[in-house]
Amino acid sequence: MKRTELLSRILVITGILIVLAAPIAARAIGAQGVIEVHGRIAESGGWTPSTIRVQAGMPIHLRLTSDDVMHGFAIGQSDTPAVDVLPGQVTEITLTFDKPGTYAYYCTRWCGPNHWRMRGIIEVTGEEPVSPQVTTPPLYLMLNLDIDAPHPASVTLDRIPDAQYGEQFSALLPAAYLTPDYYRSHSPAQIYLDLRADPALVSLAGSDIWDLVAYIWLSNTTPEGLAEGQRLFAQNCAACHGETGGGNGVFSANITALAGKTPANFSDPAITLGASPALLQGKILRGGMGTGMPSWGPLFTDQQTWDLVGFLYTFQFK
Amino acid sequence: MKPWFFVALFILAGAVITFAPLPVTAAAPARRTFRVEANQFAYAPAVLEVNPGDTVTIELVSTDVVHGMFLDGYGLSVTADPGQTTRMTFTANRSGSFRFRCNVTCGALHPFMVGKLQVGKNRWLWRAIGLTVLATLAILILPPNFPKAETG
Repeated sequence: MKRTELLSRILVITGILIVLAAPIAARAIGAQGVIEVHGRIAESGGWTPSTIRVQAGMPIHLRLTSDDVMHGFAIGQSDTPAVDVLPGQVTEITLTFDKPGTYAYYCTRWCGPNHWRMRGIIEVTGEEPVSPQVTTPPLYLMLNLDIDAPHPASVTLDRIPDAQYGEQFSALLPAAYLTPDYYRSHSPAQIYLDLRADPALVSLAGSDIWDLVAYIWLSNTTPEGLAEGQRLFAQNCAACHGETGGGNGVFSANITALAGKTPANFSDPAITLGASPALLQGKILRGGMGTGMPSWGPLFTDQQTWDLVGFLYTFQFK
Repeated sequence: MKPWFFVALFILAGAVITFAPLPVTAAAPARRTFRVEANQFAYAPAVLEVNPGDTVTIELVSTDVVHGMFLDGYGLSVTADPGQTTRMTFTANRSGSFRFRCNVTCGALHPFMVGKLQVGKNRWLWRAIGLTVLATLAILILPPNFPKAETG
């Protein structure tokens, strides 16, 4: 065989190998971090895949599409804005998780009666072992609250307690009542009883004390927090609890038929004033209650749950 | 001579029916608010009637899944999630009848989720009925062999 012939044979074989290997290599390289996620209503299976595994610090590229109706996609406890997931369209999103751990992702658009069951998990693994995170348990567990026990408040209000009006008596109020610890662990009805029994406030009438209770609530919230709470309520709670908190949202009839209980009516003073922020936060975090109340713990940040709790009292206070 | 008189009369009556302004004068523009409930796969109410020039507010309330409303002719659209009533306000300055349809894929029968916005009375329907009655009368009254009868 001539040397030139050998060379040309090697050249041709190398060329063929390159052509064959190129698509395989491209797939192996290109597919890294690209995950196609299909959304279907919870009754037909929810998200596919329902568990996404990713390395910490590595960007993942998600191609989201819907197999039936309009869905949304968001990561729990994160600032990443929600995106819509539409049938026949691909929504692309790139995410990077810095911290190892388990994250929830969920549907943000009402896609069916079991919309809130449409959730998935993102497992982020890291090089270094996950350090046992020092997390404080939620306040309702620290206080040993039974969040399923009824908590009626036997209160009679002459008018809506007004925080602005209560501010004028704030000079009389001992500072211990204004701390977040006190506010979060006491229901407004308990605060009222505590203030009523306080010798510093004997000169005040009952309605003035209620104004002070509202003042304690308002000093533990911020306007931005209340606005965020209102946004969260409209987006996640109003469908059952009603846009005005009356427990008469568009799904309340379904829930009553299934569970025999109506969604909590926040415009009822006996319900809202008898619940401490810790109790309300516990209910939001855990859900359940035998009523199909979703558990929001994996989706809301700690601050978001407190914002939402603060907003719930606007149905009683102004 | 007599048939030609009738012909002139019919033509005149036809012109009146076609072009006369109807006695229903345009009502003074008003504010109208409709609460439209969207549920798979229909709007309730599905037909909205307004007068030209009205300021119309449509409150879209979804009672099951996320729905939308796209209003043909006006090119307006809103999307309503359950628990989040959305409103669209516009001036009904184009008369006629317009379809509105769901613009959020809401389920299997989503393409059939349509309703109608009727701006003003449907005058051409009544004018067409009048002209049809007139034509029927003309056939009955004019002699069968018209216009030959005139020459004969």
